[in-house]
Amino acid sequence: MKYFGGCDSGSTYTKCVIIDETGKMVANVTLRSRINSVLSAQDALDQAISQVPDLHSAEELTYLVGTGYGRNKVPFADENISEISCHAMGVHVADPSVKAIIDIGGQDVKGIAVDADGTVLNFAMNDKCAAGTGRFFEAMARAFEMELEDFSKLSLQAKNVIPITAQCTVFAESEVISLVGEGKPMDEIAAGIENAVAKRCFVMAKKAGATDQITLTGGCAKNDGLKQAIEKVLHIKCVDLPIDPQLMGALGAAEYARQKGM
Amino acid sequence: MKDLKHMYYFEQLLENAENDLVREALAEGRKCIGSVCYQVPEVLMELPGVFPVRLRAPHTGSMEIGTYYMTSFLCEYTRALLERAIEGGYQFLDCILAPDGCSMLNRCVENMELLKINEKEDFFYKYLEVPMKADDNALSLYVGQCRTKVLDALQEHFGIDTSDEALRGAVERYNKVCRLINAIGDYRKEENPRITGYEFHIITMCTYVCPKDKLIDKLEETLEEIKTRERDEKPPYRARVEVVGSEIDDVDMIKLIEESGALVVADRFCYGSLPGRHEIVLNDTEDVLTQICRHFMMDSMCPRQMNLDKIEARKKYVHKIAEEYHADGIIFEQMKFCDPWAYERMTASHAMRDDYGIPVLTIDRPYAVGNSGQIRTRVQAFVESLEIKKIQGGKKHE
Repeated sequence: MKYFGGCDSGSTYTKCVIIDETGKMVANVTLRSRINSVLSAQDALDQAISQVPDLHSAEELTYLVGTGYGRNKVPFADENISEISCHAMGVHVADPSVKAIIDIGGQDVKGIAVDADGTVLNFAMNDKCAAGTGRFFEAMARAFEMELEDFSKLSLQAKNVIPITAQCTVFAESEVISLVGEGKPMDEIAAGIENAVAKRCFVMAKKAGATDQITLTGGCAKNDGLKQAIEKVLHIKCVDLPIDPQLMGALGAAEYARQKGM
Repeated sequence: MKDLKHMYYFEQLLENAENDLVREALAEGRKCIGSVCYQVPEVLMELPGVFPVRLRAPHTGSMEIGTYYMTSFLCEYTRALLERAIEGGYQFLDCILAPDGCSMLNRCVENMELLKINEKEDFFYKYLEVPMKADDNALSLYVGQCRTKVLDALQEHFGIDTSDEALRGAVERYNKVCRLINAIGDYRKEENPRITGYEFHIITMCTYVCPKDKLIDKLEETLEEIKTRERDEKPPYRARVEVVGSEIDDVDMIKLIEESGALVVADRFCYGSLPGRHEIVLNDTEDVLTQICRHFMMDSMCPRQMNLDKIEARKKYVHKIAEEYHADGIIFEQMKFCDPWAYERMTASHAMRDDYGIPVLTIDRPYAVGNSGQIRTRVQAFVESLEIKKIQGGKKHE
């Protein structure tokens, strides 16, 4: 049996997926990225390989594709492919009916339109700014003195939404602190933050030409409060993927590895 | 491919605005004219006794002081130039000739003048009103401005001979460099080009920032070397692209695109060769200055010219060179806050996709791209989509 690997070296998390010849996912790992992306990728690869009894080292993979911001630093990779192409392919493998993706990673937010064969039809992404990214949520959760998961749950309890005007991570944090200081309900402020990011996602989705059958990928896809806010601003129901949405980049990379290595 | 013999030399010339060749020419007693835009005809500054240097700010870091004077809403090129001027990086100049090519450049040079950034006693600034349309009235204005603000000023301040005969000589020297650059650039049309976009950009940029006569030998040798240069069997690029947009004098920009898998085969931007290094054709019957001005006015592809026929001509030109250089796609780039290119990038990129069916990537960028991960990801994703398009024979685009 041949095995194929995809390693998504992201700014916040490093993900690794191994699939077999049939495309079935046989191993997956998600690790917090260290400052050295080579070591992060090495750790993720080692842990994924340990989940497959037939494999003992990354060199035994028939083909390995690196993706994400550290894509050209993945050890033993045969090739690197941009995360835009990999997310499109990963989502296509997980659910071929999806036509568009909003990918919210650690340091960027992207809108991607997917073609019928899983290739990229069109895309748009943020510039050098952390607004609306995973880092933004981390900063907001830190201001709330809670974990991201609890922050998300809190936003879902809100009956009203308090608009947040600042998109800049630094200024949004100070705006949130001011609102808390004014005694505004915490859940409504949290909902306001989710709503502000959802609007940014709306822009990316529209720029990419997304219309329907949209799904969320990246670490922030697990934020239910954000998902609900995006559904509200886009007036659609987001497609739930059968596989962890944070793994889509690595899964797409593994699928590209399978196509190239078979 | 083996490195070009003089590539390191050319790269070193771009390390500082005041480079070895500039110092050499100054030591010979020639006067150095600072230029900031294509709209002041470069050839007028090629008269005996003077030479032009198109201003750059290599290795730009913080632009805080420039931003203080210019505000953060003006393009970074102008802020970087002002910052460098305040840092004392343009002390070698003897004058600056600036057009109102865009109001941002104008503000930049006005600030230099107000801040008295140059300590030379006889240093002077001239501001030219240059046409926004390309017709006979505009030409008349352009000729008048170039006569009084360039030729008369050079004669008055430096005693330069500005006769028709001297101008014809300047055109001949200018054309010689253009011919060399075009001959080198033509190799980019090959299926597996024997010169990269990065190498060509470096060579072309040198011709904008050095006394041209001092580059001729190296350019000729480089052309000869390229004629017999052995190519890699398999091209290291996955797609060919034309780059169109606002000024690029940052050596890392083209490098970044090529490191992402695209070979830059055509350079339709300021500091590029298309149309920046087109030869000037003179007849024997008409005043030379008028002919030069007509060339720069009609040949200009700057989006500041707003008559409809010029707007259409620019789109056709972008398409024409995409075909001529066999580009698989076009990258429209715009320096952030560059107003003329903001509009042009939007309209022309749609036209290229919808009317001409060419895949397009549009990016806005800072003056110095450094090692921008975002731009790298965009370009790589674009290259991947071009690759797939080539395989599938269909049309895809960002």
